Amino acid sequence: MTSLSDVADSDLRGIRDLDIDDVLAYVHRDLKRLPGYTELYKRYLRQRWDVYELDFSQDVVDWRERMTQEERDAFVGISAGFHHGERQVEVELPVFMLGGSEESKIYMSSQIEDEARHTVFFDRFYREVVGMPGDSVQDVLDASFEHVSETFVGPFGLLAYQADELRKDPEDPAARVRYGTTYFLWIEGVLALSVMKITLTYCRERGFLPGYYTGFTATCRDEARHVQFGMRFLRDSVQEDPRLLLQIHETLRTILAINGAASRRLALESLGWTPEEVRRLMIRQLHMKLTDVGIAIPPDIQDMVARIEPELAGG
Amino acid sequence: MRSFTPEWAQAARAAVDAGPTRDGKLPSYWNWIDRARAGYTAVWALGVRESGVYLVLTWKDGTCAAAELTSDPSAADYVLVASQATWDELRAGADPGRVVMYRQLRLERGDVLTFFRVIYFFIESLATLSRLET
Ligand SMILES: [Fe+2]
Ligand SMILES: [Fe+2]
Repeated sequence: MTSLSDVADSDLRGIRDLDIDDVLAYVHRDLKRLPGYTELYKRYLRQRWDVYELDFSQDVVDWRERMTQEERDAFVGISAGFHHGERQVEVELPVFMLGGSEESKIYMSSQIEDEARHTVFFDRFYREVVGMPGDSVQDVLDASFEHVSETFVGPFGLLAYQADELRKDPEDPAARVRYGTTYFLWIEGVLALSVMKITLTYCRERGFLPGYYTGFTATCRDEARHVQFGMRFLRDSVQEDPRLLLQIHETLRTILAINGAASRRLALESLGWTPEEVRRLMIRQLHMKLTDVGIAIPPDIQDMVARIEPELAGG
Repeated sequence: MRSFTPEWAQAARAAVDAGPTRDGKLPSYWNWIDRARAGYTAVWALGVRESGVYLVLTWKDGTCAAAELTSDPSAADYVLVASQATWDELRAGADPGRVVMYRQLRLERGDVLTFFRVIYFFIESLATLSRLET
């Protein structure tokens, strides 16, 4: 077991040796304390990594020679929701930066850069390892789109429309909280962390895809800052105006209502997971955030949480 | 039959009321849509940015009860607008989910959260009506 300070301080070479469970523990360690925006920005400056430093040459060999067709299909299917997810969270974030305190805006500039870098990470992976064609980032997105589930538009279309709503008044506290619930709590805190756990556990147990493992583990460490920012934002918003809790609830009602419309079979088994395990993982991820941050939910939402179905995307 | 004509509006109403062709996706998806549609009551206005013409679809208890063309969508619960080019892309088979994701179709008026509670029902209705033979 690595110590959590190794997680905090590793460079890309060191990240390759980290276990995803330690990185997930690192995401949650600070949730009770919730660091301030300036502290998170300082951490970003130390943890920023160079996506062009990743070496995918062994990944190419693993992909072509060691993984089965079934494993490749499952991996592409699950990662496509992340490829498009990273792009979506990147382009929808600037509008959120227009509101909030100056510290929040400065921190936000770092998260926008993180999300852009994550988009480049998937662009490189799909181009260099999976072998998808394209001259531009959009070309590669278009090539991987057929692997994206029809239900991606649920949470990510919701985020796009909430960003549009926020654009009308970037300082509107209720619109900011609704947007933050979709982005930081659900897409990052539940969906993204679950996909990270699933794909990175697979890579580690099989000893496959070291370039992907390194880059996606570094992405997960970035996610720690994003989720901690988001939970801090939601907690502070509700402390300032307790009525905003109702905005979190209404957003969760929509998010959980659109979960469970699976349009494609996810070949989770070929990556070593059962749907029930994924369901439990997602519920656990959501509960950890809600309890650590002190967001109470009424019985009808508790029932919806208990019925969560596997949904794999992230950003 | 040209799109956004009275004749097309009636054909669109009949087509969305009949529902989408259920192929290629898991039963869980279609079951979700059935649940979302059951008892659904709301008015959608779908407009073309350049011409300012809207197709107004009135859903009542899960049935598409009326369709009309108007230049004033103020009575609708949800007003959505796309450019003529986007409508043309949809007719040519563009993925409606992608059109929403890239905000080529914008919700100009209406509550975002309640709109999304029926999102796949809306997406499939949009696919159905935008691909009508014209
Ligand atoms: Fe993120
Ligand atoms: Fe990201």
